[in-house]
Amino acid sequence: MNAAEVRQQLKELMVSELNLEGKSPSDIDDVAPLFGEGLGLDSLDALQLAMSIEERFGVRIPEGAEARPIFASVNALVDYIVRTQAG
Amino acid sequence: MTTTPRVWVTGIGVVSPLARGAGATMDRLLAGDRGIRRLSLFELPGAAPGLAAEVADLHAADVAPPGEDLGWSRTDAMSVIAVREALAHAGVHPTTSPIDLVLGGTTAGMFETEVTLAALSRDPAAIAPLQQLLSHPLSSTADHVRAAVGPFRRVRSVCSACSSGANAILLAAAWIRAGRSRCVIAGGADGLCRLTYAGFSALSALSADPCRPFDRRRNGLNLGEGAAFLVLEPEDAARARGARPLAELRGFAVGAEAHHITNPEGEGVSAARVMSEAIARAGLTPANIDYVNAHGTATTLNDSMEAAAIGRCFGAEAARVAVSSAKGQIGHTLAAAGAIEAAISVMAIQRGMLPPTIGLEEADPACPLALVTTARAAPVRAVISNSFGFGGTDSVLVFTALDAFPEPPPVSVPSRIVVTGGATVGPLGVLGARGSLAYLDAGPAPAPGAIDVRPADHLDVGKARRLDRAGRLTTIATAAAGAEAGLVFGTPGCTDVGAISGSAFGSVDGSTAFMRRVFDKGAKFASPADFPNLVPSSPIGHASIYLGLRGPVLAVSDLEATAECAMVTAVELLDGGVGGAIFAGSAEEWSVMVDRCLGPLCSGITDRGPRSEGASALLFESGDRADARGAAALARVVWWTSWRDDGAGALADAPLPLAGSSIVVVGRAGDRARLPLVGSPWSAVPLRAVADRAGDHEGAGGFAAVAAVAAVAVGDSATALVLGVARDRGFAILLVPDHP
Repeated sequence: MNAAEVRQQLKELMVSELNLEGKSPSDIDDVAPLFGEGLGLDSLDALQLAMSIEERFGVRIPEGAEARPIFASVNALVDYIVRTQAG
Repeated sequence: MTTTPRVWVTGIGVVSPLARGAGATMDRLLAGDRGIRRLSLFELPGAAPGLAAEVADLHAADVAPPGEDLGWSRTDAMSVIAVREALAHAGVHPTTSPIDLVLGGTTAGMFETEVTLAALSRDPAAIAPLQQLLSHPLSSTADHVRAAVGPFRRVRSVCSACSSGANAILLAAAWIRAGRSRCVIAGGADGLCRLTYAGFSALSALSADPCRPFDRRRNGLNLGEGAAFLVLEPEDAARARGARPLAELRGFAVGAEAHHITNPEGEGVSAARVMSEAIARAGLTPANIDYVNAHGTATTLNDSMEAAAIGRCFGAEAARVAVSSAKGQIGHTLAAAGAIEAAISVMAIQRGMLPPTIGLEEADPACPLALVTTARAAPVRAVISNSFGFGGTDSVLVFTALDAFPEPPPVSVPSRIVVTGGATVGPLGVLGARGSLAYLDAGPAPAPGAIDVRPADHLDVGKARRLDRAGRLTTIATAAAGAEAGLVFGTPGCTDVGAISGSAFGSVDGSTAFMRRVFDKGAKFASPADFPNLVPSSPIGHASIYLGLRGPVLAVSDLEATAECAMVTAVELLDGGVGGAIFAGSAEEWSVMVDRCLGPLCSGITDRGPRSEGASALLFESGDRADARGAAALARVVWWTSWRDDGAGALADAPLPLAGSSIVVVGRAGDRARLPLVGSPWSAVPLRAVADRAGDHEGAGGFAAVAAVAAVAVGDSATALVLGVARDRGFAILLVPDHP
């Protein structure tokens, strides 16, 4: 799966799994922070997103401090998924 | 002001992972024993077995009547054993004197029902009433305790997640303080089940090792199971029968954080507020408190929040007051935790012993507390026990040695209780109280199935994105009732505003879908976001967060009388001086599992009209509080009661109806509604039912209550009797105009 496909699927997943009602995948910024500012997600969203990413992409996101840079933005997540799938 | 009855603890019973028996449990706690082992009760698909604190050799058949054990649960078994111990300890029994029962729970018989529910969800055509699902409703545990132990007079099932057991005790104490009970047995019970195990695991809240409360390396909790009950009596009743008091339940407080469904408020502001209020209500100061029995779950967030809260409440005294948590020994027993820890608090006073915090090796510098690591003797005259639940439901109980302190200040109670707002969310849309009068008019029956109410029309769906259907219906109804009452949500004026709601069967479809994922895909694909929505107190917890309500927030459950149960409970809390205003109602969502299986199974009613769905809310408020903020009352509550039988004679002491201008309003007409009226002057009064218009579901009685308030408010009726009935139980509330 290339980065563009992963990016599109990831955004669709975020809208459905995080119940971002009234938002469409195209509303989600590639570089904005996911937590606090930006989309305003929190730790419970991170857990839900990690679970659904593993289900959809077969990629396990580590817990704790290691997860922070991976969850920095959509782009960071896409990079991690593509890299892990390729590896 | 007359003196408030003082509440004595005269008996305790505990079933814990360490022992059956309160004393034996305390012996092992003080010895530092741990009951945390490799989980053996069940296996979760796709997951290695983790740790848990199980109660061994526990079977429903040990307590169920012969041939009925299929419909009974391990939670029932623990409850019955602990209740029997507490009653024997106190030397009372429901067959010889009136005793009330309050039971806090979260999952009831989930362990016994979750596999069947998931299996049924694969083939909706196969759904049929199954005896195996009888222990599913939250109210089933109290019903089974009553069936096994004896005819408890008033019975209530409450849930506020992990503070359920504490809130059960708090409600009992409120009854005694208001002079409404001469003896109550109250506590909590929770059996382990796959749902909670997979859910806490999905939240990354479980530690792979025996947990370490307040330790710098703590990394989560261990789940446990258990039950505990306390017998509470007013001092004069206990003295009159020569009872030996164990301790005094001298103060208590309950409040909501209005912060987040799973994460505690970082600075512990609300927890500190509730602790301070409980201590003040006991007529004490932090300097009087010898010991804090902490919630202490060993999750990163709880323990640092709790330490901050203790620091905030105790100030300089925080460096002195002894603190410990039992959860490193018995795990987190969820609904039982608050009750077991109340029992531990009482025994700490009795024995003059501080129990340890096992698992704590190196205290977290972020938790600068006087943590007890090894049991030690100490004078223990005053203890507070903390309990915090999902949704930010904080409860604190204060126990003291007898005669250790002067008489506590009298409790301030309202001179009258009024209804200042109401709303329904149903087939006719979102209506205020007056608009809900339409449900008393003739008209077409609703369509079966879900109602056509779009949450986006009534809620900020961005803010409400975590709320499931029941949470949204509850929040919409509560918001509309508050708007009618002129309440400005989220302001400091809502600090004493609470909410009580519930449903007959909880989140049946949500729980079923959650477990199907676990069974079909494996435990690692359990949804962390969905899990918090499965506890019965989730809808009202979400509503409190969305609306900024910081008073008492909890769920009740009583089959088809859940809304009326919530309303009576709200009135009783206000009457006992707990909270200044409390929303009350229910939310019942459309569910094929309820329609075809749980509904007919638990009610015995198989000829229902179109079921529909809906939510109701009334705002009950201290009349003084309503006057002070210039709110006009829609009606005044002049009398209420509840019963636990077929209802014959239940209205014997009801005020008389006013000829020509009174009505009786019920959810569903039928024999169950008629029986309490037989022999009462109220039998001659016109009876109106709303189920034909509102939907023939378990929450129809809530619609009836809102319509009754409206009938009084618009002058259609000078008195309205709300009658809520279900199998072997009922509630009644009498409403009149506030200024006739």
